[in-house]
Amino acid sequence: MKTTTDPKEYPLVIVGTGLAGMAAALFAANRGIAAAQVGGAGGILFASGFMDLMGVHPVERGRRLEDPWAGIDEVRRDIPEHPLARMENGDIRQALEEVLVFLEAGGLPYVRFQEKNAEVITPLGTVKPTYAVPRSMEAGVVALREGRPCLLVDFLGLKEFNARLIASALEDRWPGLRWARISFPGSERMSRVFTRHMAKALELREPQEQLAEKVRPLVRDAEAVGMPAVFGIGRAHEIVSRFQQAVGVPVFEIPTLPASVPGFRLRVTFSSHLQGRGIRPFYQTKVLQVREEGDGFLLSIGGAGVERLVRARGILLATGRFFSQGLMADRKGIREPLFDLPVRQPASRTLWHSRDLMDRRGHPVNRAGLEVDDRFRPLDRAGKPAFRRLFAAGSILAHQDWIRMKCGSGLAIATAYAAVKAFSEEAGS
Amino acid sequence: MFFDVVLKLSLGIFLLGTFLQVRRWFRVRIGPDAAAFSGWQRVGAALRGMVPVVFGRRVFSLLRALIFDVLLQTRTLRRDVRRWIAHILVFYGFLLLLVMHALDRTVTASLFPGYEPTLNPFLWLRNLFGFMVLVGVGLAAYRRIRLGRPALFTRPSDRTALVLLAVIVLSGFLLEAAKIVSWPVFHEMADEYAPMADEEEVRSLQAYWAAHFGVVFPDPEAFSADAEKTLEQGGEVHESSCASCHDRPVSAFLSFPLSRLLAPVAPFLNRARADRWLLFVHYLSCLIALALLPFTKFFHLAATPVGLLSRAALNPVTVLPANRVTRRALALDACTHCGDCTLHCSVAPVYRRIPNPDILPSEKLYSIREMVRGGSLAPGSMRALAEGGSICTRCYRCTTICPSGIYLQDLWIASSAGLALKGFPEPRVRVKQASTAEWAERIRYHTDAFPVHRNPSLPPRALSDRSETFEACIQCQTCTNMCPVVAWSPDPPGDVAITPQQIMNLLRIGLKELTLGSPMVWDCVTCYLCQEHCPEGIPVTDILYELRNLAYEKFRDLPEEDPDGTENPLLPGRPGSAKGAVV
Repeated sequence: MKTTTDPKEYPLVIVGTGLAGMAAALFAANRGIAAAQVGGAGGILFASGFMDLMGVHPVERGRRLEDPWAGIDEVRRDIPEHPLARMENGDIRQALEEVLVFLEAGGLPYVRFQEKNAEVITPLGTVKPTYAVPRSMEAGVVALREGRPCLLVDFLGLKEFNARLIASALEDRWPGLRWARISFPGSERMSRVFTRHMAKALELREPQEQLAEKVRPLVRDAEAVGMPAVFGIGRAHEIVSRFQQAVGVPVFEIPTLPASVPGFRLRVTFSSHLQGRGIRPFYQTKVLQVREEGDGFLLSIGGAGVERLVRARGILLATGRFFSQGLMADRKGIREPLFDLPVRQPASRTLWHSRDLMDRRGHPVNRAGLEVDDRFRPLDRAGKPAFRRLFAAGSILAHQDWIRMKCGSGLAIATAYAAVKAFSEEAGS
Repeated sequence: MFFDVVLKLSLGIFLLGTFLQVRRWFRVRIGPDAAAFSGWQRVGAALRGMVPVVFGRRVFSLLRALIFDVLLQTRTLRRDVRRWIAHILVFYGFLLLLVMHALDRTVTASLFPGYEPTLNPFLWLRNLFGFMVLVGVGLAAYRRIRLGRPALFTRPSDRTALVLLAVIVLSGFLLEAAKIVSWPVFHEMADEYAPMADEEEVRSLQAYWAAHFGVVFPDPEAFSADAEKTLEQGGEVHESSCASCHDRPVSAFLSFPLSRLLAPVAPFLNRARADRWLLFVHYLSCLIALALLPFTKFFHLAATPVGLLSRAALNPVTVLPANRVTRRALALDACTHCGDCTLHCSVAPVYRRIPNPDILPSEKLYSIREMVRGGSLAPGSMRALAEGGSICTRCYRCTTICPSGIYLQDLWIASSAGLALKGFPEPRVRVKQASTAEWAERIRYHTDAFPVHRNPSLPPRALSDRSETFEACIQCQTCTNMCPVVAWSPDPPGDVAITPQQIMNLLRIGLKELTLGSPMVWDCVTCYLCQEHCPEGIPVTDILYELRNLAYEKFRDLPEEDPDGTENPLLPGRPGSAKGAVV
């Protein structure tokens, strides 16, 4: 492996390219911190596009929250160690605001619903509460809320989205929901079609018009049309709004199973607009090793046969959980591979999971993760910050079950905000 | 008289050759789409393409191309400063010699009424221009020797061009030097312009020219007596008879030192009238170059500017199909065989393992030229050319860097498509005769029919055999979503079009052989989008490329018959038969 040394020292190296890592890079850029970002190509690709803040609490009762802010207040009382409970609502709000403003400027506008949660349809036909949705999905929220006659359309050969499945899952709740299957223009002879290819095709006028031609006769009594999220990678809301003019009724997107087009949109928007704001990306790489050096850290990052040494004053760990190897599980327990930080976890492996797979409380292993102080610095075994300028954000943190609580995006964005803020205070002092 | 005849002859050959070569631009056919147009249709399309350019706003981009691409050769400058210097020196050195020196009676004399070749600044300039050409030729020769194969192939045509230029310029310098030392030339001139009765005057002028103009007389000791007075007298005669046409040859900064070197042998040279012989060589080499120009590498002087200007003038998207065909034919003449494409070729390293020169773009172009000009190639050469064409990944690098601005990519695609119609390369054509599903079925039941060999060109533990390379795959389909080949694939219903992520899955379950007949493996354009976007960091493209190498080898070496004499069950038919080739 070839080794090169980056002579530049970065004030902050953000490890991770998921939503927490991307948001942290944005917060750093907005505060004039010339950070570097290291991580693979994945991460944010698996996002659905919905921005959840706090949707369910307490999970054992499965209570859906109408007001996420009141919900966070409750969580603060019930689970004081929950990462969001360590923050002021004002900071959380500011963090979300900054990200949504950035996305809007990058051509990916979001819609909120008077600071309340809205119910949205998932690709499996379930319904979940979320805080903000891409504008291309807005009409779906209204259609579901009002239960008006609606048509869901899917495509022949598309495996990741099934309109019939969704319609039958929502049958009881939404009697006016119909479904239809059509072939995608230009792919009539194909046995398989893929979302991103359709999205690229729909960035052109001709396929848009051909698709509208196919959908229009199916509308009949429907007052809205829901379709898989394939309306372009860039400026989807504009394509959707042009499309619904051609079809005659409001049209909305529903995310497909990951990795989906909304994930591609988020990644493209973040990665292309962050670079212009002074973030040095080292995408398609991973941190191979890290050690303390002088007042900061020396990281060895690698990818494509090249190893590079990078110096950093501070590090923000946004490496996620097991899927992205931010946490690693083996026979003995769960460990954090980069710094070997202590991981809060059940005492033995037999206690990781409840006996009931579908246990509404979730499984103890879901709440495993890093313990942090109020400045989001991971703690060592003695309960003290492990390093003065090492911070952690996102799903790697302990005491949260973001999937069941529907707080993934809020957790990622808000803790990234808190960690970057803490870093800049620490660096300033 | 003799030169006059030769001049007219070479001029005639030059004009006829140019006509024939330009006619070829409209007649040579490369690619399956070329058959649709006759020569006259192509001429018509070229004219139609020109009209909106000359009368439209594109005329400015044409001007820009003329100044930067043609006159300043910035495309070369951007690649290699040293090569640019060499080429500019040769180009401008020779051009200026042509205008000021070769055409002096028509051009220089009419611009400067007092023109004499032996007066400054012309005397000095001629040496300067000649020196420029010599340095340029020297640099070019040095580059060719230093780089050598496989980085840079030197063809006889490259050598001919350099040698011809060197002979012209060196014979010119030698001629000038020989004339400087020549007393017969001195006497001819003196008799014509300064007829002198007085023996003493003649001697004094000789002394003066021997001292200041380097003429070597047979009896130099004759001037020694009373030298100063003789020189003074000679100076006066010189001033009155010679000075208006002759500056001191010292300013011929190359020829004069050369004449000093020749001085010891000057008596012999003068007796043999070496000046006449050198004049003969100099003239003749120039006229040979003129006659050969349309048939050698020198023809790029015409073709490359036309190519560069058409590149600037024609919109690459809306260019008429007929002009696309013409452009390919033009490219064959516009190539200067500078070798830049090969130096930057992504697959050039493959040449080290498979010594087929047609892998290298600079050589492939010549093979294509041979093929289309000779009508056809021997099957062996055709196979080599098709193999070279199929190893090319169409990465576009050669096209972006070509200093002559040739659309090489288009040339490769068109020539490969043409070869495929003829059944080459055989392994690829063979694979395309059955669907992925059929291949999977055949391979599954007749794996033994595949030739068994370890691929020596791959490291011992190849990517597709190492589970660590693909075990992390989570089947998220990002590779497939990114893949332009999948997006383009016509995928008829019923055919199993294997996508990249499915190939990773087949590897995981140990069914590597089933991937070998799939269009995905054979049509991958190695754009690396899958690999760049894989969230698990799997080298998807590298794996596909490795599989293609493996598949190519297997299908190439497929025996026609089993050892027991039955036909190989993996062979669906001969190349070019029934189902033909699809590319």
